[in-house]
Amino acid sequence: MKPDSLVIQIFTVGVLVYFVLLNGGYLLLNILAMFALRKRAQEAVLDDLPQVYSALEPPISIVVPAYNEEATIAASVRSMLQLSYSEMEVIVVNDGSTDRTLQVLTEEFSLAPFPEAYRIQLETEPVRAIYRSTRFPNLRVIDKANGGKADSLNAGINAARYPLFCGVDADSILQRDSLQRLVRPFLGDPQMVASGGTVRIANGCEVRGGYLTRIGMPHNPWALFQVVEYLRAFLFGRLGWSVINGMLIISGAFGLFRKETVVSVGGYTPGSIGEDMELVVRIHRKLRARGTPYKIEFVADPVCWTEAPEDHKQLRNQRIRWQRGLSESLNSNWGLMFNRHGGVAGWLAFPFFVLFEWLGGLVEIFGYVFMAVAWWQGWISWDSAAIFFFVAIGLGILLSAFGLLLEELSFHLYQRPGQLLMLAVVVVAENFGYRQLNSWWRLVGLFKWLRGGEAKWGVMNRKAGWQRDIS
Amino acid sequence: MDYRPPSDIYLQVALWAGIGTIVLTVLVGLQIVWLRFSMRRLQRREQALTLKWRPLLNAAIAGDELANLPELARRDQVLFIKLWLHLQQAVRGEASEGLNRIARRVGCDAYMRKLLVRGNRAERLLATLALGHMRDKASWEPLARAAHAADSASSVHALWALVQTDAARSAQEMAPVLLRRDDWPLSQLANILQNVRGEWQLVLALALLRVTPEELPQALRLVAALRIDLPLAQLKGYLASDQADVVLAALRLARSPAVLEQVRGHLGSADWRIRLQAVRALGELGDRSDVDRLRALLSDPEWWVRYRAAEALLSLPFLTEAELADLRNADDRYAADMLKQVAAEREVA
Repeated sequence: MKPDSLVIQIFTVGVLVYFVLLNGGYLLLNILAMFALRKRAQEAVLDDLPQVYSALEPPISIVVPAYNEEATIAASVRSMLQLSYSEMEVIVVNDGSTDRTLQVLTEEFSLAPFPEAYRIQLETEPVRAIYRSTRFPNLRVIDKANGGKADSLNAGINAARYPLFCGVDADSILQRDSLQRLVRPFLGDPQMVASGGTVRIANGCEVRGGYLTRIGMPHNPWALFQVVEYLRAFLFGRLGWSVINGMLIISGAFGLFRKETVVSVGGYTPGSIGEDMELVVRIHRKLRARGTPYKIEFVADPVCWTEAPEDHKQLRNQRIRWQRGLSESLNSNWGLMFNRHGGVAGWLAFPFFVLFEWLGGLVEIFGYVFMAVAWWQGWISWDSAAIFFFVAIGLGILLSAFGLLLEELSFHLYQRPGQLLMLAVVVVAENFGYRQLNSWWRLVGLFKWLRGGEAKWGVMNRKAGWQRDIS
Repeated sequence: MDYRPPSDIYLQVALWAGIGTIVLTVLVGLQIVWLRFSMRRLQRREQALTLKWRPLLNAAIAGDELANLPELARRDQVLFIKLWLHLQQAVRGEASEGLNRIARRVGCDAYMRKLLVRGNRAERLLATLALGHMRDKASWEPLARAAHAADSASSVHALWALVQTDAARSAQEMAPVLLRRDDWPLSQLANILQNVRGEWQLVLALALLRVTPEELPQALRLVAALRIDLPLAQLKGYLASDQADVVLAALRLARSPAVLEQVRGHLGSADWRIRLQAVRALGELGDRSDVDRLRALLSDPEWWVRYRAAEALLSLPFLTEAELADLRNADDRYAADMLKQVAAEREVA
C-alpha cells in the first residue's frame, strides 16, 4: 500500500534538509577553523625560534592511567620523562592491572615505596601504595584497586602537585614539544581551564624510543580511512568550536586541565565510558551556572599520535564505545542545553551534538534506508532517490576535501605527492561504504547505551608495527 | 534516453546544491594542488638561499669582514630574514652585531621598517623580531604603537624589541603598560627583562603607585614573579592592605626580615592562600621563635599549608636532628605524615 504522498514528501524533504543542515553546520565550522589556522600560520615565525625557559611556566603533572600495559608502559613513561618542559612530574596510576605492569615499572624505574601524605580531594577506589622512582625524582606510581580509567585519573589528580594536569593515555605517542604547545593557551590567559590538541594516526609512521620519527601513511585501508576522518574531526570539528568557545570534547589521549577547576566540578565521573567528553561538558555546565568566566581552547598542532584499529571488529567496538560515551556525556548534562547562561556551549554546541552527533547515526541510516525502500516501492521517483544520494555523498566528499585543505594550509605533514594522492582517493572512497558503516555503528552504540552496561577499559590488540627500539 | 530535469522545485534546489557541492569540491582540490606546488617552489627558493647565504652569515658571526655581498632579491628578503633570525637567536654581542651589519648592507633594515608599518600580521611580527635584534632606534615609534596593540603575540614581541633597543627608555614608557596587561605571559616577560632588571626596578616600583586598586593585585603578582624588590615602606603598605589578593601578592615579595612581624601576623588568616604564602615566607625569613608557629600549622586543615609548613620546618638551618625526630614522632597523624613525606622527598632529591 502506498503511503500518503504528502507524508512521503515531508519525509523526503525532511531527510534532505537534515543532511544539508548537518553538512552546512560543518562547513561553517570549517570557515571558523580557517580563520584560526590563518592566525596560527601568522605566528609560525615564533614557532621556529628556539624555546627559552624562564622557570615561570606553570608546572604540569602528567597523569597516566594504566591497566594491563606491561608491553608498552616502560617506553611510554620514558618518553614522557623526556618531554621538553621546564617543570613537570609524571604520575602513573596502576589501576589494579592483572599483568606485570607494576613489576615492569618497578624494575625499569627503580621504584621504592614513598610515604606520601595522600590528599583525597576526589573519592576513588582504595590506594594500595605509592612509589617513587629513585632515579627520576619526578616520577611517582600509584597502585590502586581497579576502578576504571576515570577513577584512575581522579587518583592521579589527588596525587598531583601542580596547578595544571595533563591526562595522557599510556599508549599515546607524543612529540618532545607536545607539552609546550598544549600549555600555550594557559600562558597569557588566567581564564583558560582546559586545552586539547590534535590527535593523529600513528599507523604507517615510525616511532623510536617512544617518539615519532617519521610520518608515513598506513597500508591498511581501515587505518587509511581513519587518517582522513581524524583530519576532519580535529582540524575543523574541534578547532571550529574552539574559536567560539564551544568545544565539548578534549581527547583523553592528551588533554591539559586546570586542576582546581576539575576538582571543583567533581573530577571525572567514575564508571563513565566517555569520561573525557563528560568532564568537558560538565565543566561548561557548572562554570556557566556559576557565572565563572572561562575558556577551553584547542591547539591545532599535531601533538599526540595514536594507533588506530586495523580490523573491522576492533574499529566497530571502538565506535560503539565512543557513541555510548557521547550518549552518556550529553545525557548527564542536559542542564546545559538552552540554559539561560548556556552561551555558545548551551545554545549551539550542545544542540548540534544532540541533533547531528548523537542522533546522527539514527537519522542517517533511516534516511538511506527510507530513500532506498521508497524508490524500490515506487513511492518516490528515481530522480528523487538519486538526487538525495548525490547531495548526501557530494557533501560528505566536500567536507573531507576541506579537512585535507586545512591540513595543506597548516601543517602539510604528508609531504610526498603519493601520500597526497592517496589521501585524495580516500577522501572520495570513504563516502561509499565507510561513512555509512560508521553511521550504523553509531546507531548500534546508541541502542547499547539505551540498554545500559558496565564501563570497562577499552581493549585493543596493539600491533605497533611502526614501533622500533621500544626499550 | 534523454535526461529531463526534475520538475519538483525542492528536487531542483537539491540538484543544484549537489552540483554546487561537486564544483566546490573540484575547486578545493585545485587549491590543494596549487598550495602543494607553491610550497615546493618556496622550499626550493629557501634551499637555494640557504646555500648561498649561510656561509656568508657564518663568516659574519665569526667576525670576518666581507668585502662583497651578492645581491638579495626583494622577493627573497623575507626568507633571508627568517634564516638570519635563526642565527640571531643563537648568538650574542659582537657576533650579533656582525649579522646586523650584513642585514643593513643588503637593505633589510629599510625593508623591515616598511613591513612593520605596512605588512600583514605575519610580516609585522617578523619585522618586529628583526628590528629588535638590529636595535633599530628609527623604529621606536611604530614599535611602541605595536606594544600598545591588543594582539598579545605582536605586542609582547614589540615590548621585547623596545627593551632590546633602549632598556632605560623602554622602562620609562612601557612600565605602566606592562603592569596593566594580564595577557602577556609571565614566563616571556621574565625572559625579556632578565638582563635589564636594573633599568626597570625603580621605574616599576614607582609605576605600581599609580595603578588602580583593581589593577594592583595583578601588577604585584607580576613584580613578584619578576623578583623585583620594592622599597620597604611600599611593601609594608601592601602587606597591611585589607585586600586579600594584594596581601597574597605582597607576601610573595617578602624577602626582608624587616617585614617578619607582618608575615607572622598573616599566619592566622582565615584565607588558606594567605596562610600558605605566610608559611612559605617564614620558611625563608623565620628564626627559632617560629618553630612552634610552624609546628602548629602542620595540623592546618589545608593540605598545602601543612606541606609548606613541613618544608619550612625542615629547611630551617638551626633545627637539630633530635628536634626533627621529635617533630616526626608527633602525636598528630597529619603532622607526622606530612613531615615524613617532605623528609622522604628531600632524601630522593
